[in-house]
Amino acid sequence: MGAFVRWIQKAMMSKKARCPEEEHWLELVRLMLDGQTTEEETSYVIKHINGCYRCYDNYDLEKEIRAALKKKSINLKVSDALISEINSKVKA
Amino acid sequence: MDKSTSRYNDIEKSDIFNNEFMVHVDALYNFAYKLTQDEDESKDLLQDTCMKAFRFINSFERGTNAKAWLFRILKNSFINDYRKKSKNPGMVDYQEVETFYNSEGNEIETQPTPDLRSETVKGMLGDEITNALNSMDVDFRTVIILCDLEDFKYDEMSKILDIPIGTVRSRLHRARNILKQKLAIYAASMGYK
Repeated sequence: MGAFVRWIQKAMMSKKARCPEEEHWLELVRLMLDGQTTEEETSYVIKHINGCYRCYDNYDLEKEIRAALKKKSINLKVSDALISEINSKVKA
Repeated sequence: MDKSTSRYNDIEKSDIFNNEFMVHVDALYNFAYKLTQDEDESKDLLQDTCMKAFRFINSFERGTNAKAWLFRILKNSFINDYRKKSKNPGMVDYQEVETFYNSEGNEIETQPTPDLRSETVKGMLGDEITNALNSMDVDFRTVIILCDLEDFKYDEMSKILDIPIGTVRSRLHRARNILKQKLAIYAASMGYK
């Protein structure tokens, strides 16, 4: 059963299953994830991606890239010495 | 600044600097580092930003978005001072980049992109993600940093970058396409499935 579902998913993800307006929907998905869509626009996007494997996959990938950027990027802390240096320069 | 136009007294200035500006010092440092990709330059850029913020503190309205205000100063300092003396000769200005990417048939966006799956991205290491981001042109890198790492909204990014919201939107869309392509090519070269 699992293999059959995977086969269906793979078939749906083939070039034949590409969304004809993929770039347009991708732009809308990004706007939605950025919190730039209204409630009505969000419902419109969600309705489409729930019925389109290709766009759902893009949505999933977009979320994953954002999560990876946030989680895996270097996060530096300013040293106390540098903070002291800044404060002394400002007060000078 | 002329004393008659001074909005704050010394105690207020110090209070704003310590309580509204310095709370963003780590975020500023990370932004500086991601722009310059050099530890010493990022420290200098951070110090310059703090100095300028204090010098022009009267133009800051208390209670407004200090983080966006500071990021704008840092971005301007980077463009005006650091970019010119940058060790990276490949950098070009925003307008040139915009013109290039708005032109038809540019190579990056017309190249076929290998498929990239979310599971692949999940399995990537921090270095792989960082390298892909760092290899992008600084103008595209900047919008991704501001939006995806620092959670700025489009209107805030518009003010920080001095560009219309429509340009923020299109630049971000292109930047994400480029990043996705870089990750996909990297994943394919490393044999990720």
